Amino acid sequence: MKQKVKSYSTMILQLVRRLHITPVCQAAESSLLAKLRKKTGYTIANCKKALEMNNNDSDKAEAWLNEQAQAMGWAKATKLAGRKALQGLVAVKYDKNHGALVELNCETDFVAKNDKFQKVLEDATLACYKFAHTNLQSKGPITKLELDSEQLGGLTADGGKKLSEVLALFIGSVGENAILRRAECWKANSSDVKITAYTHPAPSTPRDYSTGKYGALLAYKQPNDVEDVGKQICQHIVGCAPRKIGDKDKDKPSKNADDETCLIFQEYLLDPSYTVEEIIQNNKLEVVDYVRFSCGEEAEEEMPGFEKQPLDTVQTLQ
Amino acid sequence: MSARLIFGRVFSNVIQKASYDRNKLTCNSLYARFLSVQSRYLSTTKKKVKNIEKKHCNIGTIGHVDHGKTTLTAAITKVLSKDGSAKYVSYDEIDKAPEEKARGITINAAHVGYSTKSRHYAHTDCPGHADYIRNMISGASQMDAAILVVAANDGPMPQTREHLLLAKQVGIQYLIVYINKVDLVDQDVVELVEIEMREMLSDFGYDGSNIPMVMGSALKALNDDTSEIGVPSIKKLLDTIDNYVPQLIRDLESPFLMPIDNVFTVPGRGTVVVGTIKRGVMKKNDEAELMGFGQNIKTTLSDIQIFRSSVLEATAGDNVGVLLRGMKLRVVETGMLLCAARSATLSNHFTAKVYFLSRSEGGRKKPIFSKYSQQMFSGTWNIACRIDLEPTVDMMMPGDHGEVYLTLLESMVMTQGQPFTIRENNVTVATGIVTGTLPSVDVPNGKLGKVVFNHESK
Repeated sequence: MKQKVKSYSTMILQLVRRLHITPVCQAAESSLLAKLRKKTGYTIANCKKALEMNNNDSDKAEAWLNEQAQAMGWAKATKLAGRKALQGLVAVKYDKNHGALVELNCETDFVAKNDKFQKVLEDATLACYKFAHTNLQSKGPITKLELDSEQLGGLTADGGKKLSEVLALFIGSVGENAILRRAECWKANSSDVKITAYTHPAPSTPRDYSTGKYGALLAYKQPNDVEDVGKQICQHIVGCAPRKIGDKDKDKPSKNADDETCLIFQEYLLDPSYTVEEIIQNNKLEVVDYVRFSCGEEAEEEMPGFEKQPLDTVQTLQ
Repeated sequence: MSARLIFGRVFSNVIQKASYDRNKLTCNSLYARFLSVQSRYLSTTKKKVKNIEKKHCNIGTIGHVDHGKTTLTAAITKVLSKDGSAKYVSYDEIDKAPEEKARGITINAAHVGYSTKSRHYAHTDCPGHADYIRNMISGASQMDAAILVVAANDGPMPQTREHLLLAKQVGIQYLIVYINKVDLVDQDVVELVEIEMREMLSDFGYDGSNIPMVMGSALKALNDDTSEIGVPSIKKLLDTIDNYVPQLIRDLESPFLMPIDNVFTVPGRGTVVVGTIKRGVMKKNDEAELMGFGQNIKTTLSDIQIFRSSVLEATAGDNVGVLLRGMKLRVVETGMLLCAARSATLSNHFTAKVYFLSRSEGGRKKPIFSKYSQQMFSGTWNIACRIDLEPTVDMMMPGDHGEVYLTLLESMVMTQGQPFTIRENNVTVATGIVTGTLPSVDVPNGKLGKVVFNHESK
């Protein structure tokens, strides 16, 4: 008799259990999964795991996912670290006395067009721009801060996270290697030095923030009564890629005008009948300094014996 | 008397042509030699070239780098190599395909060929957006259909939207989705991926609910696994492509159009132009116009010949010689087009997609601005041409591609998709395809530099 009761009860238990995991219940779990995935955008596998670990509580699963995303981002970033990342974009943000130029790389240009990439780039450029409003000041007309990947990663973005964390999250979501390659943050040390920037492709209406495959920052002096041609010179620098400004006394123009590497001897891009030297003389402009980034230029080899110093210990910057 | 003549003829032929190569002789040619007649008059079967060739389709894979595009391509070649209709290309061969240079332009793509029962496929991978557009402009790659590869464990990635944008931009109408890595997840996840993909496809203007989706594991198929998700999934994918992508037919409905490749005079008959018919059907005595270099000459097709024998009509794809009534030889130049009367318009102003070769490819070093004038080469002819950029674009760097306006020195007929190159001092600096014809613009005194435009911003 006892055995019969036992066998009946196990049968009933099994029946109840089977009822509990019928397709009806599975469907409910699936639509939870769909909702979570739609809301958070994390991979389906991770969303499913989150639900399983949190008893199908959507809110707890979402919190868990957000926590995990950072760790998983780091893991993915480490996993993909060796892969070549030469696509991407260069961005500039500037005002009259400050300028920031940043390069962010990824593996394919599909990702470079994606708005998540654009957001990371904008965050990074904004962080560099803020950094350019630094109290540090060097001798000379402008304060130039060159940042490499590590130093860039250490900057803080608007939300409070470090740029390296933002980047890792991004890598976790697109599954491609991405690198904050380099940045330049400039500050004019006196009011007569102006800063301007240009990217190619240029936006249709001039803006203080733009992105492109090439970018340049230019620091120059020009009296206020003359037409400002700084932007045009910056465009020339992007288009003709001079290696240095050039010194009239020391450098000579090269034999072939096409191969000219000194800015002053190059044919002016917007009017090849003049050289840049003539243009800057006619417009009373003095070129202080410039820098040009071309996205995907090979990262320079680390020089042996060179030690990178954390930024807050660097005293003189020239 | 006639018998003697015949006998004499035969006898002399035999004496003259004493040495035959037995192996080369067929019955027809033997008779031909005896009767000193041209052998083709004896042949009764007219070659039907068109029906024998297998139909062709250009296809490609798009998707995230880690979702298995290359594995899928290798698996397709492996499965078909068992039937002998493809040569197996391993994963490594596809992955490490060296950069090719075609006409000086670097092509970063692996091309693989395979055939199913119904068609031959030219398969290419799509590594990058700019890379693909460049290949398309230079004519190296073309996709009539695409396989979008999505891994089930990740689902669609953020950049999948950009993949679909490219497909839409390039004009791909037929997309098939292959959901890969299904062995790593449960069935409900696969279903979720399918739903998400259908929604995304609809977002981009594709018919999400009717796009065919095939689930499987390319890796298992590559490892010869015969379970449902292995090799059979690949076979199912190929069947789906065969049935879903319709065959692109040669355009026979439009009025005929034939670019002139060559021209000569036949004594006693007149001027004959030679070319391959691009579209339509031409019939004897049709009214036609010979257009190009600012000229539009009305004429009639007096005679059409294929392989030197007259025919009543010829269709797109045929290489023909056409006798034009009343046409003077010196008027005709290669590059002119022979079109059905009133079917095409001359213009000197076109829109085009252009790719400027980068410095490393031997192109320019400095950027290009509007009013850039050089020689344009298309097919066998060339003409002075001026390029203008869109009003919103400042300049174009070597390595860039984009939409431009072309203005030619003289009016021509250029068809959509017609390729051309721009050369500076005989060095190719740009390659492009015509995308549209615009109303002609006035070129004062033949000076291209003085043309003024009124392009409204689009």
